Order: sequence, then structure tokens, then C-alpha cells
Amino acid sequence: MMVHSKQRNSVIVRIAGAAGDGIASAGEFFGKICARQGLHIMAYNAYQSAIRGGHVWLQLHVGSEKTLTHGEKPDVAILLNRTSPAVHIPDMKSGGVVFYNSSLITEDLSKMRDDLTYHHFPFLETVNVPGATAVMANTMLVGCLIEVLGINHELGLDVIRERYSKKGVEIVDLNSKVFERGMEWAQQNAKRFDLALKGDGKKRMFLTGNHAFGMGFLAHGLKFYAAYPMSPSTGILHYLATKAKSHKIVVKQTEDELAAVNFIIGAAHAGVRTATATSGGGFALMTEGIGLAGMLEEPIVVVNVQRGGPSTGIPTKQEQGDLNQMLGASQGEFSRIVLAPTDTEDAFHTAGRALNLAEKYQVPVLILSDLFLSEHFQTCVPFQVKQPIERGKIQNSVNGQYKRFLITDDGISPRLLPGTPGGMYCSPSDEHDEEGIVTSDVLAGLPEARELRIKLQSKRMRKLEAIRREEMRPPTLTGPQDAEFTLMGWGSTYDAIEEACQIFAQFGTKVNHLHFTDLFPLPTEKVLEILNSCKEVIGVEGNYTGQMAKLIRMETGFHIKRSVNRFDGEPFTGEDIYNRVKKELAYV
Amino acid sequence: MSSEVKDFNHKVAPDWCPGCGDFGLLAGLKKALPSVSLETHDVMVVSGIGCSSNLPGFINTYGLHTLHGRSLPIAQGFKLANHKMTVVAVGGDGDGYGIGVGHLVHAMRRNIDMTYLVMNNSIYGLTTGQTSPTSGFQMKTKSTPFGNPELPLNPLTLALGSGCGFVARVYTGHVTQLIDIVQKAIKHPGFALIDTFSPCVTFNKINTHQYYKENVKDINKLGHNPSDLYAAFREATREDCITTGIFYQSDRPCYEASEEETLREPLFAHKLGISREEETALMAEFV
Repeated sequence: MMVHSKQRNSVIVRIAGAAGDGIASAGEFFGKICARQGLHIMAYNAYQSAIRGGHVWLQLHVGSEKTLTHGEKPDVAILLNRTSPAVHIPDMKSGGVVFYNSSLITEDLSKMRDDLTYHHFPFLETVNVPGATAVMANTMLVGCLIEVLGINHELGLDVIRERYSKKGVEIVDLNSKVFERGMEWAQQNAKRFDLALKGDGKKRMFLTGNHAFGMGFLAHGLKFYAAYPMSPSTGILHYLATKAKSHKIVVKQTEDELAAVNFIIGAAHAGVRTATATSGGGFALMTEGIGLAGMLEEPIVVVNVQRGGPSTGIPTKQEQGDLNQMLGASQGEFSRIVLAPTDTEDAFHTAGRALNLAEKYQVPVLILSDLFLSEHFQTCVPFQVKQPIERGKIQNSVNGQYKRFLITDDGISPRLLPGTPGGMYCSPSDEHDEEGIVTSDVLAGLPEARELRIKLQSKRMRKLEAIRREEMRPPTLTGPQDAEFTLMGWGSTYDAIEEACQIFAQFGTKVNHLHFTDLFPLPTEKVLEILNSCKEVIGVEGNYTGQMAKLIRMETGFHIKRSVNRFDGEPFTGEDIYNRVKKELAYV
Repeated sequence: MSSEVKDFNHKVAPDWCPGCGDFGLLAGLKKALPSVSLETHDVMVVSGIGCSSNLPGFINTYGLHTLHGRSLPIAQGFKLANHKMTVVAVGGDGDGYGIGVGHLVHAMRRNIDMTYLVMNNSIYGLTTGQTSPTSGFQMKTKSTPFGNPELPLNPLTLALGSGCGFVARVYTGHVTQLIDIVQKAIKHPGFALIDTFSPCVTFNKINTHQYYKENVKDINKLGHNPSDLYAAFREATREDCITTGIFYQSDRPCYEASEEETLREPLFAHKLGISREEETALMAEFV
């Protein structure tokens, strides 16, 4: 299994309880404290489509160096409710430590496994500071964790002060007391772990991919955002809604996804940078709008945060099953771009890049995220805007006849913002001529209309070739050049595949990593050249059919014959990929 | 500079059947726009799909001819992004009361400042004569050869019940009344619905020009008070005649008022991007 150096500098913590117990908020609190110490965290939240009553848990992988995934087996578990022991004790790493809420869990856990240390912790009784409520037990737990992991508790008190300062000194004091109560309990009842968790002192952010998408849009000139709530994309709506007033943007929750995509098409037409986000089901409803944006050549950005499908599927679980849907969304043929960022920071930059590409080429840009990327928390150094805003061809006045769909070499026609005197035109979803006059009604089928059809359709499609040539980044190949085999992935699995390569390296197998972010249009020649340089390629995809491998074969003719596919709803980890690949290759 | 009706004439002539009610609406709209001091470039006409939705191609303003049933979301998104322009959405009864009715209900309660003209002919014309949401009970059409088993939708009571702040109906053959109502709708600061009887001369032999000429009555001439919501419901459900006119007008503030600070400048004219200080502040929230 995982090979660890003798001085452990990372730890996996799991907190489990009932939905509504405030586990996410406790995790965020704990994460912020660690992040301020300069530690790295990767956290994954397992939850269900229920507001109360489900069983939820949060796993945090904390380390002195970058933790690439949330890891597999926990070293420490905090179990809050009766369901917890049966679910989590079997997962524990041998020698691990379990803190359990003995106010609720009364059975003898040592009968389940005798290789763990158990601390019965009467949460409700211990939290009994005057004025404290049961919810504050979480603050106490974080105090306990901070103590056993040897993290600077002053940072915890800082976070409490900042969190509650608006509510007054009394609330700050109360929470601080409860936090310290947890530390005291740990000092008296548990041992501090033998860990070398040293932060580098750099203050990091602790945030999700959805926060990063929202922030990325905001930082790159987004002015209008419309969406319909759908897990796991709603975090972007929530984030941007809090920024609407301060950043003077319009954020609109619409009646459905049909409305959301068409609202942003209207806004884009007016000359505003705009985006929406949804998950696969909502994206299905947006499909006709994507085609409209293709035909009207409107710059829109649509984020699809994938979850387990088909249909309602597994709304709170992970999958990379919607690539085909992106490629085939809407009838007919038109230019589009599909991007899949690798991690939280890349989500920030991809949001900006997508807005630029959409305006530069006047096409719909589709971003493929997934539940894991959008919802997991991780530490990141603060992002910096790297890309200037590029708006593409826009003209501000009219000389003579303005032609909205002017035929050009690169297929891009200058935009004129509506409202400009003398430039009146109509953009129709019907086939049209350069001015926008419909050629599909009374003219349809006449030689003139057929010729125009060829010209206009070719103009729109030429943009795809320009994008392929000028903009699309080839996949990255990391790791040893003389690798025995290459793991191919796309989007959010980047870090997990890197971790798998590290594990292979620890066992003396040279493996490298080919990773795609720019999925469509593929820079075909460069892709083929890189693929041909690999000894053997194994696809690693979070879906059943290997959609990326199929796309590569379709676009380049290169056949990736072997693959590991995960579609049980859980995200890949390095260890998991390592095991699956080993099995696929029948390594022993 | 002031515009004239002829400025709104487009070089493309309508492809509607001779006698189509939509001609009346187009003529009325072209007269109403300059009469409320709008220039051709001040106006955005947005439509869906259907015979009547071809209208933006026949009027010299800015235009968007979009998807079946989706004119309203596009028009609303456009308006929020450039609220200095006058937005007029147009379409048919299938477009607005059938496939797009969900958007209509929400547009009415949302109350973004725009005018929606529905050319209601109680039939699907472009698809050659099937039943529509406003086809009469038992009406025989190509898709209901034994008679329409469904009741027609009443767009006026739907609008009154959805919080629409301006609810009107007019027969497109009565051009003076049409122009008057369109002028008032455009000036109304909020969402205005005008249901127009716009006969299909090819596929609907029941709801004809003759039929409307003989049966419509202008409730405003009969003393109806448009600020009285209950009276509006009563007039909208009368069975002794077909009522037209302004049924209801309220003075509730339009949606844009809730975005007053943000929309001080039209959204499209805002400066883009954030300063280094703003960038730092955004990041600091997560530290």
C-alpha cells in the first residue's frame, strides 16, 4: 500500500455524522486554521440528497507538503452519531484513533476492531459551558483535533474572533471557551500524535472549485450571471449572489435552465460578459440555447458540473460522464469549445480564459467541471489574474451598411452593440445572409440561398479551425520520458493521477501522465505526436465507456486499448488508480 | 432628430398571407414607436418562432429572431444588460401561451420593463393548422379532426393572476385602438402584455376578421377602471361579448428598481475587470 516515510508529515482526518450536524462548517473551520499555519489540505465531502437524516462525512488530508487527494484510509476519525461506527471503523488505517460521541454511541467499539485506539468523548456533557448550545459541539471537536494534531491553537482563536466579531464579544468569548474546552479535554484524555505537521507559514485560501469559478468570472469582467439551482453547480450562484451588489453585477435566478441560458444569450447580445452553470440534467435543457448561441454567434460560457447520471442519477456523487453530451449538444454543426480544468486554481483561470475565448470567437464555450472539482475544499495560494480581458472584434460606429455576419477569412465578423445609430440589424436563428436577412423561408432551396448557406455555414465553421490552430493547448505529459506506460486523464483527475504515478515510482515502476484540459477542438497533430511518443497508454476516466479515449480515437485515429474506469460515484484517489491499473495490467 | 414611420420600414416585405392579421400589428407598431419619440436604433424587437415571429425581419430596428417559446428570457436578459433600449417581444399564441407559457408567467411576476405583443390567432399557422392553446373547445383542426377536447387558455386571467402590471387586449384590425394601447404599454414602466386578436386567414375559419369586427367591445369606452383588479377579472371573463382595451394597470415598481445601484449605467457600458485591491479582498475572504 501507501509507502510513508518514517516521520509522518501528513494525516487523514474523517468527521462523520448526521446531515444537519454542521460537519461541513466544522471542516471549514478546521481547514482555515490549518491553512493559516501554511499546511496543505485536500478535503472531500460525502453527502446525500437529503437535508436532514442522511449520513455524511468529510475527509481531510492535511500535510506539510501538497496533499494531492483526500486519501483513502483515515488516521483519525470523529464519529458523531449512531450510524457512524459501522460505516467508518472498517475504513480506518490500522493503529488509527477514533473519537466517538459517547453521548449517543454506547456500544463497545473495540469489538469491531482491536487495532484502533478509542476515546469515548461525551460531546454533549463536555460542551456544557454556560450559554453553549449543542451545535457548538463542533467547535469543541475542532479544539480537540487542533490539540491532538499539534496545530497552533492561537490561529483557531483568531478565526473564531473573525467569524463571530459581528455578533458581539459575548459570542466570541463563548465560542472561544467551547473551543478551549475541546483542547482541555484532549490534553487530559488523549495523546498528542507523533506528527511532523509543519506549515511553511504561507497563508493559503481554503475554498472549493465553485468558489474559484465564481471568483474567476468576477475577476475577468463577468457582468451578468443567470442560473437555476442544481447540485453540484449551485455554489457558483451562491458565491456570485453575495458579490452582486459590491461588484455591480446582475445575478439572476431564473425559472428554469431554458430561461437561464436564454437570459445570458440576450445579455451577451447586448455586449455583456456572461455565464451560467448547471449540471448534466440542466445542461440537457440548455441544449437548444447552445445551438442558438452557435447560430447567432453569441459569446456565452456554460459550466456543466457533472454528477452521476443518467437522468437524476446520483446527484451528490462524482462522475465524468458528460463529455459526449458536450460534444453533441444541439442539432446541426457549429463551432464550440470544451474546456476541463484540472484543479481549483485552474478553475479560476479557466473561467477567465473561457470569457475571453467566447468573445474572441463569438462561440459558446463549455466548461466541464464535476462534483469533485466544484465542491471539494482545498488550500491554494491566492490566485492572481494572469490574462488581460480580450473582447475580440467590436466596432463602435457604423460606416455605410453594417453586416453582422460579414464573411471574413477567420470566420469572425465584428460585433456592433445594439443601440448604435445607423447599425440596425436582426440576428435570426434561421439561416441568413451577411446582413442577417433570413434565407430559409421564401428563398429556401433556390440557387442563391444554397450558395449563401454554403458561405455562411463555412464562415461559422472556419472559426473552429482558427480555435484549433491558435488556442487549443495540447495535453501535458509529465513524468519520466522512458516510462513503461502512460496514464491518460482529463479534467479534475490531474492530482489523483499524479499521486498514482508517485506510488508507482515508490515501487520502482516508471509511469508518466498525459492530461487533457482542452477537449474540443483537439489540436489533432500535436496530440497524435505526443500519443505516438508513449510506449503504452492507459485511459483513466470517471465513466463507464471511456469517452475521452473514444474522442481521441475519433479525432486522431489513435486507439487507447486499455483503461480503468470508475463510476461508483466516488472520486479517484492515487491509491485507487494504482490498484486499478495494477489489476488491469495483472501486476502482482 | 425625430423619427418617422417610414424610418421603421424594412427593405424586406412580410411573407405573411394576404389579409393576415399580423399586418395590422406591424403597421400599428411602426406608428406607435415614433409617436413615443423612439428612434430606430433605440428599439430591440425580440421574437420566437412562428409566422408572427418573423416580424423582427420586417421592421428597421435592432432585432433578435430566436427559438420557439424563448423570446421572453432572451428579451429579459437583453433588457437587464442594456436597459436604455426599449424592448418589445413579439410572437404567436403557440409561442407565448404554449411552449413558452412558463417563461410568460415568470416574466409577468418579475416585471422587467418591456412590452410583449402576442399575435393570437387560435391556431398553429406555420405548421399548417393544428390546435393551439387558445383554440376553442370542440374546434376542428388538423390535429383535432373530431373537435378540440381541451378548453382554451384565457391569457388575460393568467396575466392578472400572475401579477402582470399592464394587461390589455386588442383586435389588430382596430389600428387606432392598437396604437393607443401599444404607446401606453411602452410607456408603462414594467412588463406589459398585449394579447392581440390577429386572424389567420388560411387555417382558422372561425376566429376571422368578420368575427372580431362583429363581437369585440372596448371596455375603456364602456367606463372600465383599469386600476380595479377585480373588475379586470370580471371583464376578462365576460361571455356576452369579446372585450378589448386596457384591463389592468398597476404602478408597482419594475424589476430594474431593485438593481438601481448596479444599473445606474447600462450593464454593457460598465468598466470591466477588478483592481489589485479588489483581487486581494476577494482572496482574503477565504484565508
